Amino acid sequence: METALVGLIALFFAVSLYLLLSKSIIRMLLGVAILGNAVNLLIFTTGRLTAEIPPIVPEDAYAPIQGSANPLPQALILTAIVIGFAMFAFLLVLGYRAYQALDADNTDNMRLAEPEDAPRPPLSY
Amino acid sequence: MATAATSYDALNLPPAMIEGATAPADWIVVWPVALALFGAGLLVMLRNQRPLQSVFAGLIVLAIIVSNVYLLLRVFEAGPLAMTMGKWLPPFGITFVADMTGALFALSASVAAFIVVIFAKVELDGREYRFGFYPLLLLLLCGVSGSFLTGDIFNLYVWFEVMLIASFGLLILGGRRIQIDGAVKYGFLNFLATALFLIAIAYLYGITGTLNMADIARKSAEAPVGPLLTASGLFLFAFGVKAAAFPANAWLPAAYHTPAVAVSALFGGLLTKVGAYAAYRVLVLMLPAGRDMLEPVILAVAVATMILGPLGALAQTNLRRAIGFLVIGGIGVLFAGLTLGTQHGIGGGVIYAVHSILTLTAFYLVGGLVERMSGTQDIRYMGGIYTVNAPLSILFIILVFAMAGLPPFLGLWPKILLVEGGVRAGDWVIVTTLLLNSLLTLIAASRLWAHIFWRNGHEGARSEQPNDTLRRLTSDEVGLGLAPTIALVALIVVLGFFPNWLIEAGGVAAIDLLEPERYISAVFAGVPQS
Amino acid sequence: MRFFGLDGPGAELGPSLDFSIALIAVAPFLAALVAPWIKSFTGALAGWVLAIVPAAIFALLLTFVTPVAENTVVKAALPWIPSYGISFSFFIDGLSLMFGLLISGIGTFIVIYSGGYLAGHPHQGRFFSYMLMFMGSMLGLVLADNIFTLFVFWELTSITSFLLIGFDHSRQAARRAAIQALVVTGAGGLALLAGLILMSVASGENSLTGLLTQAGTMQEQPVYLLALILVLIGAFAKSAQVPFHFWLPNAMEAPTPVSAYLHSATMVKAGVYLIARMSPVLGGTPEWFWILTLFGGLTLLWGGVLAVRQTDLKQILAYTTLGSLGLLVMLLGFGTKEAVLGAILYLCAHSFFKGGLFMVAGAIDHGTGTRDITALGGLREHLPVTFIAAVLGAFSMAGFPIALGFLAKEEMYLALVHGLWPDLFFLAVLIAGNALMMAAGILIATKPFLGPLKPTPHEPHEGGLPLWIGPVILGVMGVSAGLFTDWINHYALNPIGGSVTNHAVDAHIHLAFDLANPAVWASLATWALGAAIIWQADAVRSAVRRTGQAIGWTFDIGFDALMFGLIRFADRVTRTLHHGRLEWYILLLFSVLAVVLYAPMLITGTAPRMAEFPVLSFYEWGAILIAAAGLIAILLLRTRLTAIVALGIQGFAVALIFLLFGAPDLAFTQFMVETLSVVILALVMTRLHLDARDPREFEVALRDGAVAVAAATGFAVVLLSVLQLDLDLSLTEFFNETSRPLAHGRNIVNVILVDYRAIDTLGEISVVMAAGIAIMALVRLKGGDGDTPRGISRPTERRRT
Repeated sequence: METALVGLIALFFAVSLYLLLSKSIIRMLLGVAILGNAVNLLIFTTGRLTAEIPPIVPEDAYAPIQGSANPLPQALILTAIVIGFAMFAFLLVLGYRAYQALDADNTDNMRLAEPEDAPRPPLSY
Repeated sequence: MATAATSYDALNLPPAMIEGATAPADWIVVWPVALALFGAGLLVMLRNQRPLQSVFAGLIVLAIIVSNVYLLLRVFEAGPLAMTMGKWLPPFGITFVADMTGALFALSASVAAFIVVIFAKVELDGREYRFGFYPLLLLLLCGVSGSFLTGDIFNLYVWFEVMLIASFGLLILGGRRIQIDGAVKYGFLNFLATALFLIAIAYLYGITGTLNMADIARKSAEAPVGPLLTASGLFLFAFGVKAAAFPANAWLPAAYHTPAVAVSALFGGLLTKVGAYAAYRVLVLMLPAGRDMLEPVILAVAVATMILGPLGALAQTNLRRAIGFLVIGGIGVLFAGLTLGTQHGIGGGVIYAVHSILTLTAFYLVGGLVERMSGTQDIRYMGGIYTVNAPLSILFIILVFAMAGLPPFLGLWPKILLVEGGVRAGDWVIVTTLLLNSLLTLIAASRLWAHIFWRNGHEGARSEQPNDTLRRLTSDEVGLGLAPTIALVALIVVLGFFPNWLIEAGGVAAIDLLEPERYISAVFAGVPQS
Repeated sequence: MRFFGLDGPGAELGPSLDFSIALIAVAPFLAALVAPWIKSFTGALAGWVLAIVPAAIFALLLTFVTPVAENTVVKAALPWIPSYGISFSFFIDGLSLMFGLLISGIGTFIVIYSGGYLAGHPHQGRFFSYMLMFMGSMLGLVLADNIFTLFVFWELTSITSFLLIGFDHSRQAARRAAIQALVVTGAGGLALLAGLILMSVASGENSLTGLLTQAGTMQEQPVYLLALILVLIGAFAKSAQVPFHFWLPNAMEAPTPVSAYLHSATMVKAGVYLIARMSPVLGGTPEWFWILTLFGGLTLLWGGVLAVRQTDLKQILAYTTLGSLGLLVMLLGFGTKEAVLGAILYLCAHSFFKGGLFMVAGAIDHGTGTRDITALGGLREHLPVTFIAAVLGAFSMAGFPIALGFLAKEEMYLALVHGLWPDLFFLAVLIAGNALMMAAGILIATKPFLGPLKPTPHEPHEGGLPLWIGPVILGVMGVSAGLFTDWINHYALNPIGGSVTNHAVDAHIHLAFDLANPAVWASLATWALGAAIIWQADAVRSAVRRTGQAIGWTFDIGFDALMFGLIRFADRVTRTLHHGRLEWYILLLFSVLAVVLYAPMLITGTAPRMAEFPVLSFYEWGAILIAAAGLIAILLLRTRLTAIVALGIQGFAVALIFLLFGAPDLAFTQFMVETLSVVILALVMTRLHLDARDPREFEVALRDGAVAVAAATGFAVVLLSVLQLDLDLSLTEFFNETSRPLAHGRNIVNVILVDYRAIDTLGEISVVMAAGIAIMALVRLKGGDGDTPRGISRPTERRRT
C-alpha cells in the first residue's frame, strides 16, 4: 500500500521543487513548506505503512497489537516537523526582511553581496 | 500479543540496558555538547549583563577545550570512547562516540571558537550582545561539537540543524542589507542541503533498518548495491553542498563576507569542515562500498574544487571574499583525501582539516584587522601596512605560507601525506592537482600580501605616495583583536614545527575510519554476547 | 667510506655532536629572531656583531676538514617526526662541507658588508633577520640527510629569498621580481617534492645516505625517468636554467648584498648541489647526460651572450651567473672524473669571484650613485681598493694562471679535449661561454676605473672598511689558489669528488702551463676570443640588442602574459560560476540532484519492479486526493488568500494521511504546526506584495517544471526500490517490546522521543531556541545602509590618484 503514497510524494516534491525555482521569495517559501511535508511523508513511507493501528500499548498488555504502525519513523518525523517549522519560520521572517530591505520579488536583483559590476582584479603586482 | 503476565521475566525481554554504572570519566564525551547548551541558555538569561556575556562565554568555551583535550588524550591511550544515552543498549539508544577523528575535529573547533569569543569583543555593539551573539555562538559550538561526537545518523542531522539555525542567527545579526542578501542565498541553499541529508537518512533507514553508525557499518556490507549507491551518492551530494564543494559552492562567497569578522572567521573555520567530516564519517566508516563505487565522482569533485577555489581567490578584489575562496580550495583538498581512501589519504585529510580550521580562522581575523586599519574591504584601496605594523605583517606572511603549504608551517605535513598517498596509489591526477592547488594558493596569497602590505599606497598610485586612509589600531583592537590572533598563529607555528603527535593522530584516525573494528567494538562494548 | 657519528669514534660525544651539528642550521634562525634588537643596541657595529654567528659556524665546520679528508662521514640526527620516518638529520661529507664553508665564510663577509651598505636604512634590522634566516636555511639544505628535512630547508630558501628580493617593497618592480622568484622556485619545489616522494616510495629510503646505498639500482626502476624529470625541474628552477632562468636577472631588484650572497654565491647553487648530490643515484644514464648537458650548455651561451648586452653592472653579473650555472650543470652532466673536479673547482672559484664582483658593484653604486657601465669611468683614484678587488675578481673570472679560475678551466677542458662527438661540440660551447664571461668580467673591472673620470650623481668616494674587506679577501683567495694545489687536491678535491662520483677519487691538479697539453690550447683560444669580444664590445652589444628587438619576445614577457592571463581567466571563470542569481544556483542544484538519483540505478541496473496497484480504502484515497488538489491549487493560485488556503489544505491533508495510517501523534503535531505556519504566513503576507500569477515565461516554466519533475520522479523511483527490500525491524520490535515494561510508557512514539532518543528531542528544542533568538534579532535589529563594512570608521570613497 505504500505505492499510493509514492505517487503523492512525487507530486509533493515536484510542486515544491518547482516553487523553489521561482524568482520570488514568497513562492520559494511556499516551496520550503511543501518540501518539508514531502520529506516527512518520505520518511513515513520508508518505515513501511500499516493501516490505522497506532503504536500504543493497550491497557492490559505489555506490547502493542500485531500490525501496529512502526513507531521509530514517527518519532523521527516529529522531530523533523518541529525542526522544519523552526526553519520555515526563520526563512519566512528573513523573506519578510528581504522584502523590506531589498527587492525580494526578483532574486536576480538582490546583488549586494555579489555585485554585478564587481571590480576586476588589478593586473599588477 | 496480549499477555496477563505480572512479572517481567515471563515476557522474555531482550537485553535492553547496560548493566553497571558508567565510569565517571566516560561522561566526558557529552560534556562539550552539554556545556555549550547550558551556556547558551545561561547567556540568554543574562542577556542584559553585557560584561558578563563574554566572560562566561569564554569560561564555558575554555571548559569545552579542556574536555576535548581530555577526550583526545583518552582516545590516544585507550581507543574510541563510547557512551549510549539513557543506558540503553546500542543500537537502540543514541550513542555518542569519540574516536580520534571526532576528537581532533572537536578540539580544533573549540580552540578556534575560543579565539573568536575574545576577538568578537572588538566589533560588537551593545545591541548585539542583548540580541544573542554569544548564545548563538555557543549554540553553534553545541551543534558543531554534537556533530563531531555523535554516533547516530539522525542525531547528526539534528546537530546539523542546531548549527545551521545558529549560523543563520549569527549571519543576520546586525541586520544590514548586505547581510540579508547573503543570508537569503545561504539560507535557502543550506536548507536544501539539510533536506537532502534527511532524505538520504530516510533511504538509508529503509535499507538497513537502523540509525546507529556502528550498526550501519556492520550491516552495509550486505546491503543491495543499487539502493546503497544511491544513498551514498545522495549523502555525498548533501555533504558536498554543506562543505561548499563544486558544483554547489556558490553560497559561500555569496555570504561569508557579509557579517562581522568574528562571525566570518567562525564560519570559515568551522562550518564547512563539519560537512567534510560528515562525508568522511559516512562514506569511509559507514558505507565504504559506496565510497569505492563513487570514487570517480569524488575525484572529479575534488579536482574541480581544488582548482576553482584558489582561482576564485585570484579574481577577487574583496579581501574577505578572496579568503572565502581559499576556504573552498581547502575543501577540495579534503575531498582529495577522501578520493584516495587509503591511510595516507584519510590521515592526510584529517590533519589538513585541523590545519585548515586553525589557519583559516586566523586568516579571517588578520584580514579583519587589516580591514579596520585600511577602512575598506577592497584590496585596491589598501596598502602600506608593512611599514606601519610589524606584528600584523608577520602574522599575515606566516599565514600566507601556512595556507600554501610551505615548510616549515603546518600546511606542509598533510600535503606530504596526501602526495605520498597519491604516488602510492599511482593517482597522478590527484598529485598534480594537489600541487597545482598549492601553487595557485601561493600565487593568490602572495598577491594579497604584495597589494596589502608591500605596496605603499593605493593601486595605481605612485610608489612613494603612502596610503593616507590607513589608521593605527586602537588599544582595544590590539588587546582584544591582535593578541588572541597572535596566540592562534603561535599555536599554528608550534604545531608546524612539532607535528609528530598530530601526524600520529592522523594515522590512528585513518585506521579507525578504514577498519572500524575498534570503533564498533567500543560502541557495542556493553552488549552481552548472545 | 667509513660512516661514524652515533656508534663510532664520535660516540662519546653522542648527543652533543648531534645537537651541535643541528645547531649549525638552527643557530642563524635564533640569531635572526634577535637581530633587530641587536641592531638597535649596537647601531653601526651591528654588521660586525652579527657576523660572529657565521664566523663561528665557519670555525666549527673547519674542524671537520681533516676527518672528511680521511674519508669519514659525520652524521647527526635528532628525532623529529618518528611516526612518519622523518628525522632532523644531517651529514657532513666532502660536498656538504665545501658548501657549508662557502656559505658561512662568504656569509660572514656579506653580513659585515650589509652593515655598511644599508647603514641608516630604517628596516636594516629586518634585513639582517632575513639574511640570517636565509643563511640558516641554506646551511640546513646542504647539510641535510633526511630528504624531507632537505625539502623543508629548500623551500625556506625560497621564502627568505622572496622576502629579501621584495625588500625595497614600495617599487612595483621589486614586488614583481619577488613574486616571480617565489612562483618559479615554488613551482620547482613542488615538482621536487613529488620527485623526492617518488624516489622514497620506490626505494624505501628516506635519507640521502640511504639513497646513496641504492646508487645504481634506482636507474633501473620504472619510475626513474619521471623521478629524474621531477627532481631536475626543481633543481633547474632553483638554479635558473633555461627555461626557468628569467627570474634571476629580475632578482637584481634586491639590495646588492642579497645579489652577492643569494643570487650568485649560494642559493642559486642549491640546484647544482642537488644535482651533484643525486649524481650517484640518478646519474650515469643517457637521459641524465643529454638533459643536463643540453640545458646547461644552452644556459651557458644564453647567459654569456646576454651578459655583454647589459649596461647595468648588476645585470651583467647576473647574466654571467646564469652562464656559470649552466656551465656547472653541463659539467655535472658529463659526470667524468675531470668534469666533476672541474665543476668543483669552478664552483668555488665562481663563489669567490662573483661574490666579490657583486660587492664591488655595490661599492661603486654606493660610492657614485650609478651602476651604468657606460656612464662610469676613471674611478681608480677615488676607489682604489675597490679597483684592486675588481681586478682580482676579474683575473680569476677570466681564468688567468695562477687563479683558481685557471685551475678550474684547465680541468674542465681536460675533461672534453680528448674525445670526439659530442665532447668537441661541448668543448666549443665551453670555450665560447668562458670567453664571453671573461669579456664581461674584464669589462667590469676596467671600464669604470680606467680612462677619464666621468661625472656621477655623487662625488665618488670609497666605502668604509665593511664594503671592501670582503671583496679583497675573496679576490686574494681566488687568485692565489694556484699556489696551494697540494692542499686542494688532498683536502678538497678527493673527498668532494668522492661524494659526487660515489667512488674514491685521486686528484692531481697542478699548476702548469705546458703547451703540449691540448687543454692549454683551449685556454689560449678562450683568451683570444675573449680579447676579441672586449675589443669590439660596443659592436657586440648593439648586435645582440638588435637581435633581441627583432625577436621581440622574452621569457620574462611570457611570465607576465602567463600571470595576467591566469588572473583574467580566473576572473572570467569566477564570474561565470558565481553569477549571483539564486535561481540558477538552485537550478544547478536540482539538475545535479536528478543525476544523482537516476545514475546509480542506471549504472548498477537495479531499477525497481513495477509495483502492483495499491489497494486502499475510500478514506485513504480521499486524503490523498485532497492533498493533491491542494498542491495543484498552490501552483495555480492567484491571490494571497488562495495561497494561504491552499497551503493549509495540503498540510491538513497530510495530517489526515498520518491519522489514517496509524500515526495520531503525528497528525496532531502536523495540525498544530500547519495552523501555526498558516497563521504566521498570513501575518507576513498582509504586508507583502504577491504577484497575481507566477511571472515565469513559458520556456522558463517548462525548464523548471522539467527539472522538478525529473528530480521528483527520481525520488519516487528510488523510494520504490527501497520499499521493495525487506526492512530489518529489530529496532521497532525492541521498542515495541520494552516500551511498557522498561520505559514505563504506553505511547511508544512518545517514549522514543523522551527516553530512547531523548537527545534528539533536546537537539530539536535547541533548534527552536536558536530560531527564536535568531528571529528576534532579525526583527529588531535593523542596520541601516548595510553596504559599508562594520567597524570601519571612515566610509570608503573612490579616490582619484
